[in-house]
Amino acid sequence: MRLLIVEDDVAIQGFLKRALAESGYQVDIASNAKAGELKALEGIHDAFIIDLGLPDMDGLELIVRCRAQGISAPVLILSARRSVDERVKGLEQGGDDYLTKPFALAELLARLRNLLRRSSATQNDSVHLQTADLQLDLVHHEARRGDHLLQLTPQEFSLLEYLCRNAGRVVTRTMILDHVWRMRIDPTTNVVDVHIYRLRSKVDHDSAMPLIHTIRGVGYVLKHA
Amino acid sequence: MPKLLQTTAAWRISIWTTLAFALGTALAFSIVYFLVARAIQERSDAWLNGEAEVLARVSANMPRDRLYKRIIGEVAELATRELPDERNARGQSLNSVFFLESESNSNESPLWVGPGSDELFLRAIQQAKLVPGIPQSIKVEGWPTTFRVVFRQGKERTMYLGLSDRGATYLLRTLTLRFLVLWSSTVLMGFLISYVSARRTLLRVQRITDTVARIGSEGLGERLPEPVNSDEISRLAKTFNRMLDRIQSSVNELRSVTDAVAHDLKSPVTSIRGALETTLSRDPNEKWRDSVGDAIEGLDRLLNALDTTLDVAEAQAGALQLDRSTVDLSAVVRQLADLYKPAMDERHHEVMLDLEEQVVVDADWGLLNRVLINLIENEIAHLPAGCQVTVRLSSRDGSAILVIEDNGPGFPPDISTRAFKRFVRGKDSHGHGLGLAFVDAVVRAHGGTAKISNSPAGGAVVTLSLPASVLHAA
Repeated sequence: MRLLIVEDDVAIQGFLKRALAESGYQVDIASNAKAGELKALEGIHDAFIIDLGLPDMDGLELIVRCRAQGISAPVLILSARRSVDERVKGLEQGGDDYLTKPFALAELLARLRNLLRRSSATQNDSVHLQTADLQLDLVHHEARRGDHLLQLTPQEFSLLEYLCRNAGRVVTRTMILDHVWRMRIDPTTNVVDVHIYRLRSKVDHDSAMPLIHTIRGVGYVLKHA
Repeated sequence: MPKLLQTTAAWRISIWTTLAFALGTALAFSIVYFLVARAIQERSDAWLNGEAEVLARVSANMPRDRLYKRIIGEVAELATRELPDERNARGQSLNSVFFLESESNSNESPLWVGPGSDELFLRAIQQAKLVPGIPQSIKVEGWPTTFRVVFRQGKERTMYLGLSDRGATYLLRTLTLRFLVLWSSTVLMGFLISYVSARRTLLRVQRITDTVARIGSEGLGERLPEPVNSDEISRLAKTFNRMLDRIQSSVNELRSVTDAVAHDLKSPVTSIRGALETTLSRDPNEKWRDSVGDAIEGLDRLLNALDTTLDVAEAQAGALQLDRSTVDLSAVVRQLADLYKPAMDERHHEVMLDLEEQVVVDADWGLLNRVLINLIENEIAHLPAGCQVTVRLSSRDGSAILVIEDNGPGFPPDISTRAFKRFVRGKDSHGHGLGLAFVDAVVRAHGGTAKISNSPAGGAVVTLSLPASVLHAA
């Protein structure tokens, strides 16, 4: 997978490139819209990460120009603006996505994965999820740890399902709120942590092998240690 | 409708102008009435004096024979004919004249020419204190109108000549009646004209008011139409437009400043945060993990506080952009209660919901969520363990009323009056002091109000009132 990052902040370029390379992407970088447009027209990228506040052109205009020239790869828009522009929302409906700065790397990776999956149209719609000895039956809303049937509330089940779908990958609190509760908010209290504690006490309670792990400062991951 | 009328300036203006017009015309009529009445009286007095003179001369030159009475009577009759023929609508003559002559040294009955018997007239004349040569009004029993009477005192005889005021009274009454009809119709007409024209003028002011109110709540792009003529109201519209220009430019200025602040702070924070995060994912060394995690969480809090500060600043300046949609408040509250239940349980708080269904507001969903989260997190942060929080939602008089009440220690007296100001916080508070200021600013931006108080039992009560959108019949 090859990505193009159009971002003028050198420090952000640097860590994005490192982090994305570590996740197995090939990364090209452009520091302004002109250079970005030239590189995009090569047509070799699977997705773009474009900052809205570019020095020579508005990021949205760059996207419009690329689209006009037949470039159809999905775009992840980065924005430092506080209110989300109507036009950005329009792009979101058109299959692209946006993220406001500062963002968690975990979330950027998750959204990028989502965009790439959407564009290649291979949806994973299995009815069973499994990690180690944890099994989820999405049809009957049943979760088992080994042979033991877990007594979960519908909310806890959705939370566990979300963790399972992202097994091995870190999810942030914001992502959990967005996907499980459909809320794009940043709580200042430990509201999400309490849900996780409860879920953990049910899932990992009498197991020698805990599955739900906290990554301080980042979020949570469900993985086979 | 009548109540509505009274509250319009058009009504008041036209009432006052009509009143002034009515009083002015009534006064003018009274003056005319007085002048006409005096002219009529002068005319009849001149006639009386003239005729009395003639009769006196005739009487002095006539021998006292048996023809005397007849001749004097005929002269008196003739005199009445000299009067302009005043008749009423039914053709009856309105003049009534009498002549009375008595001899002082004789027992003969006085000479009488006139309507009816002389006795009533004689009695009335004797009662009135008449001065010779000056006509005066006397009232005669049995006659509806007064008589104007003049008398002349001769050596042997006293002579009285009287003229009924019937004609003058009739004339003045007709005049008054016609005036009243004319007066009431012009006053009514004047009222209608002044009401309609005042209303038309004031409707232009009303249109300006409506437009300006709409501009205030829906963004500052719109302008009032500026008519070509330059009367006061057009100038008002122009002044408003200039003012809106200034407000819009300062709002835009504020927005670009806050955006610049946000941008300039967010870019470095993004790279710091990213660098810390990559360190976490790369280096499993347990020694630093906690410190790095703390640093990231600290950065998140910093940015959160920055965003809230800028939001509060924009909202207080009326520059907050609202992305309005139809929001079912009951559903939002229920969802948040669900989300926060474990966090509440952890502190042994009991949450009670008393929600009216389908309370719908036209609001920015994201901001409203943040308002409610602020209030809930306030409860979590400030309540001692084991309290009860009641959330009530109802709609009343076109407003959605949300009340969050607890049975904790309540707001400390030192902040309860200033709680909505930025950075005000209680002594034991750990927040950054923006929570309630944010709540207040956002609720106001939506055209609502936020109030805090302490309940009679001492707990804290936060009451939000938002304009409800039209409820769709369930």
